[in-house]
Amino acid sequence: MIEVRDLRKEYGGFTAVEGSTFSVDTGEVYGIIGPNGAGKTTTLKMLAGLLEPTAGDVSVAGHDAGTTEMRRKLGFLPEESPLYEEMTPLSYLHFFADLYDVADGVADRRIHDTLDELDLEHRDRQLGDMSKGMKRKVAIARSLINDPDVLVYDEPASGLDPLTTNYVIDFTSDLADQGKTIVFSAHNLYHVESICDRIAIMNEGRVVAQGGLEDLRAEHGETEYHVFTTVEVPGSVKENGRYRSVVDSMDGVERIRADAQDADGSVVDIRTEESSLEEVFLDLAESGAKT
Amino acid sequence: MNPRKLLRIARWEVTKNAGGVDRRTIVVGALALLTVGIAAPYAATSGVAVDSGIYRVGISEESPYYPVVESDPTFAIREPNADIGEEIDLRIQGLAIQTAPTPKAAAAQTELRSSVRAYNNRQMRQESNQSAAFPVVVSLGYVERTQVREVISTSDRQEPTPDDAGTGDGGDGSDGSDDSGGGDGTGGDTGTADGSGNDGTASGGGGENIGDVAGGAGGVGGIAGQLAGGNTSGTPADISPPFPFQSLVLAFLFVLPLNFIIQAYGSTMLSERLNRRGELLLVAPVSRFDIIGGKTLPYLTAAVGIAAVIAAALEFPAVAPVSVAISVLAVVPIALLFLAATFLGAMFARSFKELTFVTVTVTVSLTTYAFVPAIFTDVGAVALISPLTIVVRNLQGQAIGIGEFAFSLLPPLLTAGVLFGLGAGIYREEDMFTQRSIPLKALDALAARVHGKWSVAAVTAILLPFVFVTELVGVATLFAIPNALSIPTILVVVVVVEELAKSLHVYAGYAHDRFEVGLLPALVVGAFSGLGFFVGEKLTLLAQLVGLPTSVVEGQAALATGTGVPSVPLLIGLLLAPLLLHVVTAAISAVGASRNKRAYAVALVVAMAIHFAYNYTVVTISGLV
Repeated sequence: MIEVRDLRKEYGGFTAVEGSTFSVDTGEVYGIIGPNGAGKTTTLKMLAGLLEPTAGDVSVAGHDAGTTEMRRKLGFLPEESPLYEEMTPLSYLHFFADLYDVADGVADRRIHDTLDELDLEHRDRQLGDMSKGMKRKVAIARSLINDPDVLVYDEPASGLDPLTTNYVIDFTSDLADQGKTIVFSAHNLYHVESICDRIAIMNEGRVVAQGGLEDLRAEHGETEYHVFTTVEVPGSVKENGRYRSVVDSMDGVERIRADAQDADGSVVDIRTEESSLEEVFLDLAESGAKT
Repeated sequence: MNPRKLLRIARWEVTKNAGGVDRRTIVVGALALLTVGIAAPYAATSGVAVDSGIYRVGISEESPYYPVVESDPTFAIREPNADIGEEIDLRIQGLAIQTAPTPKAAAAQTELRSSVRAYNNRQMRQESNQSAAFPVVVSLGYVERTQVREVISTSDRQEPTPDDAGTGDGGDGSDGSDDSGGGDGTGGDTGTADGSGNDGTASGGGGENIGDVAGGAGGVGGIAGQLAGGNTSGTPADISPPFPFQSLVLAFLFVLPLNFIIQAYGSTMLSERLNRRGELLLVAPVSRFDIIGGKTLPYLTAAVGIAAVIAAALEFPAVAPVSVAISVLAVVPIALLFLAATFLGAMFARSFKELTFVTVTVTVSLTTYAFVPAIFTDVGAVALISPLTIVVRNLQGQAIGIGEFAFSLLPPLLTAGVLFGLGAGIYREEDMFTQRSIPLKALDALAARVHGKWSVAAVTAILLPFVFVTELVGVATLFAIPNALSIPTILVVVVVVEELAKSLHVYAGYAHDRFEVGLLPALVVGAFSGLGFFVGEKLTLLAQLVGLPTSVVEGQAALATGTGVPSVPLLIGLLLAPLLLHVVTAAISAVGASRNKRAYAVALVVAMAIHFAYNYTVVTISGLV
């Protein structure tokens, strides 16, 4: 559904994105994470056709980015919600429905259904009088007005309270369940981890790692083995009447088992702990690894 | 461009603020409009008439003054035998008029005199034999100031006699005007109609004073004479030529609303950029031209609508649709130019503070361009550089040729197109929502239209209207100063404007890596820019066919590359020489632009120097200096 190849964007002498290549399948949820200034928003804007790449190719739903055909199939949600605050949600959404050539009856039904799903009341109130969460819901409704195949969401829960954040993330997850192809960026890695099928980690304009969460952990993360023994072995810590040792390989587990047997003890429990996405991200960001 | 989307955006632009107006305000506004709608036509046809029936006149129907009193609503008719001073202010019996000894009665008598005069004029105009009604017809013709000097210097400078000034037969009044450039002759006309000769006397007096001015103040007129201690009254009638108040008022009426419209337009354009409000429109399946067109259309419609209302009101009650249409048609390029300049400014401004500077600049510069020449509609052909001159001439009932129409309207129309095109070039995410510096935005705007050598030539040619208007404004600004100073100054202006027009977009193209680097590619790009300019310049020479610049020496200096061509070889030479000039200078600038900013600056100065030398040689050969 989305093909990005050797994408590069320069602003004057500054390179914001360099050599990004990835693809997103139909119905897939693809998350982009990275520190501030990593190039996430620039990448998403090039996907949405807002920015013209300095080099490289972007194809969305079979169309080059920026073309009218591609825009008809795309729903874009920017990081902020730049609404026309003198308008009401209904007039605002109807205006965009007209621009997307959505028939009046269809638009009316779609607007009310979406606002019902988003639990947005006060639909005749001016947008300027609404809370940030309510505005965000209107912005999300606008991104869905054309029933797009592809959604590009930049920090969809940015600046929202926890309750609204969960609501927005759950709604995004529901959209994924409906078969929408979604690309989104987030600072909250828990959200990415919870709904994304695949993830790209960007740093300094480059995609430094990408793949499924398990693949990323396997490739860039670590697995720790917590070995509990009845007797003290070198490097162990007493914990609730037992001794806990942490090693990063099965060889280490076997060594502890041997040490315990030598001391007339035994291994009573072994637990594995894998790196979280946050740990993988921090590790990659700090090391500046290159793909 | 999609007309349906454009109109939808235009409708949105008009209605998006509707949510901010509560119902009570809407009701109050509607009632106010309704009141004005009812009251205005009544006031226009009947007048406000707060003085209706203020003077009481005792008069019988047999009196010859009865129709006069009856026709003037100021008077209330009473019985002639009523008590004077108590019940009536005036008593009229036959031809005898008795006035009460009160200030109000004196005022009533004055009003009666005016009414009689107006009544007589109406009667005269209804006469089938107009020659009998108005036996003397005065035709006024204005001459150029230099000819006035010649007339004065060659005449015996005989001072007007008291008879000339005072007999007041109207013809003398106008003679005073013609001979000395004073007096507007209106007095003569009125004097004839009234038979009183009073106004004719006043006008003749004006003519007498102008004689002093012409001799002492270089023909600048009554104001200069007054400043020089001359014996003038300082009234508009003293100014030589007569100050065109009608043109001034007409031009002012049409240009004033535009200044208000661009405030709202600039504000809505800038508000799209602040807080990234317009970002989502850029993602929608509409082109930037749909957005710009849709947002501009309501303001253009308002400008045109206001112009139509003003034109119709000025002709009321005898409104001629064709005349109104001509006025509106002439206002369209001016309105577009105002909007285009404001649009471009709003695209460059980074805050409302900067937008204020932009709108003030647009207001002052374009009002000057449109307004000042139109004031002097009857004075010089150069006034035609402003489309408002067409409006004024149209409303004054003067004929307008197609050539004059095209000459006046096309440059601002095309300039507006260029400005909109440049603004559209930066109507994109990167330029709209970032604090990009103005020079970089200017380069972005130009580079957006440059993609190869042919586009370089096209952009150069498209910039010609801008060059043309700039040069004409220079001519209009400088034509009043002595030729020895004005022509070199004009030449400098021309050289700077033209060389920038030929090279700035080339430099922008190089800054955006649009061209291959190297000496030969730079020479080719420069040559194409020069070629584009040559073609465009020849098109502007068509302007001379309508006769404006040939009547103005500075116009020849600015626009012509030679006049009074004596032979075919020289004609060919003068045709090809500009091509060579533009190709060479543009190539020099392009080579500099292909290197870096400093090299471009140096090359540009060299190109300007060559261009100046060429132009100066041409105008010297032509005998202009």
